[in-house]
Amino acid sequence: MAPIIEAEGLGIRFVRNRRRQLRLRELFIHRGGRRAASGQFWPLRDVSFTVEPGETVGVIGRNGTGKSTLLRLIAGVLIPDEGRIRVRGDVAPLLELSAGFSNDLTGRENLYLVGGLHGLSSAYLKRHFDDIVEFAGEQVQRAIDTSVRHYSSGMKVRLGFAIISHLPHPILLMDEVTAVGDAEFRKKCYSTIDRLLAEGRTLVLVSHNEKDLTRFCRRGLYLDGGRLTVDGTVAEALDAYHAAVPR
Amino acid sequence: MTAGVAALWSHRNSLRILVKRDLAVKYQQSVLGYFWSLIEPLGMGAIYFFVFGVLYSGDTERHLGQAAESYPLFLVTGIFAWMWTSSALSEATNALTGQSRLITTMNVPRQVFPIGRVTGRFAEYAAGLPILFAVAAVYAAHGKIHPGWSLLALPLAVLVQATLLVGLSLLLSAVNVLMRDVERFMRLIIRVLFYATPIIYPLSLVRESALPGWVKVAYELNPLVGIFQLQHAIWYPDEFPDARLLATTVAGSLLALVAGWWAFRRLEPAVLKEL
Repeated sequence: MAPIIEAEGLGIRFVRNRRRQLRLRELFIHRGGRRAASGQFWPLRDVSFTVEPGETVGVIGRNGTGKSTLLRLIAGVLIPDEGRIRVRGDVAPLLELSAGFSNDLTGRENLYLVGGLHGLSSAYLKRHFDDIVEFAGEQVQRAIDTSVRHYSSGMKVRLGFAIISHLPHPILLMDEVTAVGDAEFRKKCYSTIDRLLAEGRTLVLVSHNEKDLTRFCRRGLYLDGGRLTVDGTVAEALDAYHAAVPR
Repeated sequence: MTAGVAALWSHRNSLRILVKRDLAVKYQQSVLGYFWSLIEPLGMGAIYFFVFGVLYSGDTERHLGQAAESYPLFLVTGIFAWMWTSSALSEATNALTGQSRLITTMNVPRQVFPIGRVTGRFAEYAAGLPILFAVAAVYAAHGKIHPGWSLLALPLAVLVQATLLVGLSLLLSAVNVLMRDVERFMRLIIRVLFYATPIIYPLSLVRESALPGWVKVAYELNPLVGIFQLQHAIWYPDEFPDARLLATTVAGSLLALVAGWWAFRRLEPAVLKEL
């Protein structure tokens, strides 16, 4: 079977304080090139790996080593400057706690908006509306017709996760989902992720929580300074992490 | 480009959702709701009618030709189409900056955001068309206009205008992320365009004026000139643009679309990093 995620020499370059340096001409005619590498840095570079369908991958690394950037590249909301990434199949991303909600819409409207943009039909959403809201918990259920502005971050992540977990997409991307949310919600998250993985989905998880990582992931990628230094089991990646960060 | 268009087509549902969302947000907090999209252009029409149809009526009528006896219709036709243009351009400019949350979490072709703004404003324009036809029906009943085949200028005008607006909105939305000044600048540009386009006055006024030749040529290079001539030609066949103007307009609009699409693709990586 062809790998479901394939990264080849992946790299992306950010520029600090870019706005002050920007010239339209440079942007169109030649990007990079002549200009000295002033304030440029590569959050990720030379990253190559493949993920087979059904694999569970934990991405491990210290803060600012490009974990979230990698997830965004897989999700297709960033475009690499070097190399390429090929993803075969739809992606269900939970990249931000807010899950892309618009503050001025109610929970109900956001559910239809975000669910719809993720590719769910409105008929499907209507049918599963009660399920989704119930999954998100009693608090959200009560506030479903008030604007998301008034939601706590816990409520937002609950609703976001409830939507994402209803997507049929084969690839799940999660960035620190369980960091907010109380114990009860975490339990629900765990059983849902277990269920989704049992269906044979592919998971890429970014987390600092070792328990989560060892629980869900068999494979580990350890990122250091924007480079992929360990690609092995999750235990090996965690060892590398501990070697770098004394406990 | 074809691959991009195909991807866009497969996400037309996203486009629909975004447009619905925009309209819902826009009207949920106002009592008059949809009527605002009528009151504003009609109010503007009344103002211009007062100035040019009443105060300067002598001058105006001399140049209007076929439209001399139905200047309000001439005005309303132009202003309805103008509202679509101006609101689409100003709203498309912040289509990406204003929705960065969605864009950075959702993998949909980014083009849907600016195109959605153009579509949303088109929906308002379409919703106003019955009013336009009602006004025209009154003048037709009095024998002031004689609509016929010229009505076909409407779909043509809409098509060309949509092409131009989509192209410009792609360009403006992407550039605005990298240089927020564009947003402010656009307010001025839109005001200039309003007077640099035959919306409230007939094109013949410019053509017969004493302006130097090169100014007239430059004036007609603006694709909006031909588009608004097409709009006016719905009721006044004499206003139908000549071959040269029509060719300039269509070519200019297509160029805007291709350039906008290309620029958007080109700027997309930088835009996504910036958001």
